[in-house]
Amino acid sequence: MWTYHTLRKQNYTGKIFLVGDDQDLKINEYKKKYGKEMLVFDKKKAALEADSGDNTGDLRSTLFAVNTIFKLAKENNIEYFYIMCDDYSSINYKLLIDGEAVNTNVDNLDMLFRDTLEYFKSIDAVTIAFAQGGDFIGGIDNGHGCYRFSKRKSMNSFLCSTNRPFKFMGRLNEDVTTYVNLGSKGKLFLTLCNVAIIQLQTQAEKGGLTDAYLDSGTYAKSFFSLMYNPSCVKVALLKSNHTRIHHTIKWDNAVPKIINEKYRMKNIE
Amino acid sequence: MKQFSMFGDEPVKDDGNKYTKGVGSPLYEPKNKCPDLLELLDHTKTDQLINEIYNSNVTAAEKSFLIQAARRHSVFYYSKIADYYANCSEEMQKLMEKSALIIIDFEQAIELGYLELSNKVVQQYLEHNE
Repeated sequence: MWTYHTLRKQNYTGKIFLVGDDQDLKINEYKKKYGKEMLVFDKKKAALEADSGDNTGDLRSTLFAVNTIFKLAKENNIEYFYIMCDDYSSINYKLLIDGEAVNTNVDNLDMLFRDTLEYFKSIDAVTIAFAQGGDFIGGIDNGHGCYRFSKRKSMNSFLCSTNRPFKFMGRLNEDVTTYVNLGSKGKLFLTLCNVAIIQLQTQAEKGGLTDAYLDSGTYAKSFFSLMYNPSCVKVALLKSNHTRIHHTIKWDNAVPKIINEKYRMKNIE
Repeated sequence: MKQFSMFGDEPVKDDGNKYTKGVGSPLYEPKNKCPDLLELLDHTKTDQLINEIYNSNVTAAEKSFLIQAARRHSVFYYSKIADYYANCSEEMQKLMEKSALIIIDFEQAIELGYLELSNKVVQQYLEHNE
């Protein structure tokens, strides 16, 4: 429930819904605590409607919840909403002001959400995300030879609309698999680069999805993205304190470019 | 007003409008030179797979399926594709758009909106932290 408290602490005053599944042993406890803010879905049914990309039947995945949220939003007459998939300790500005790096809490999330929504409404994107801490590691291009936010990714925090539905795919790594796969077909995924969600450490919290990752390591997780998008995703070793297998996206081969209208012939209907 | 940017770039005025380019842009700038069509796509892996499929003993229906699947390995070079789009015929442009080989930023909504939003974020920060 970190994200719930973070949103309130940083002055978000709108509605919040927590989404849980009927397989969760603590679901009744959550329902008692959060009342009408707690929405519960049938996970097995959701699994039947999702493309999990494997036949393990393993339900330890956020895939089923994220896809169901579109339906839940509609049922609750909500047109625009954020899907927030993790525990956020804060949502921060990521700026350089007078040459000094700024990494401090956003003061007024209501205002930030309103401005982001205004932009979202004005373009054809299927979603816009905030950056993640890891996006800023390694400098402007992180060694990939292109400006990092010309990469058209959206991870973890998704501003969505019931009028622009899309389906996440793949039991693990579904955010990456989805933005690459749908991105390659011209769906627009974007990240706002001067705001970042700050997450609790991945794969440090025990339970559910973390256990699923630990069962198969990041090997299986990364291969989901490769399986769906073999022409532009590779699996490689990510060197860090704990070297692990991770996906690498060849962005020039992943998604069509966005270009200015001036390059288009005038008479095309 | 304070100078700001994402990565230390100097703010640059964009053709006299009020937006800064300090946050970069998700847009691609096509080159004047039209690439050869052969440069837009690498189907080496696809061809290898199809060759193997043709020489296999699986059923015709299985071959048909595998051949379609093999096309997933064709590598598209989207910067070259954008370069080609900018230099090709009207009819070709239309078909490329239909196939989502390119995304057109009509009235600069994506680019300018992105920069405007980024500027608003900076203003928010400055207003609350000055």
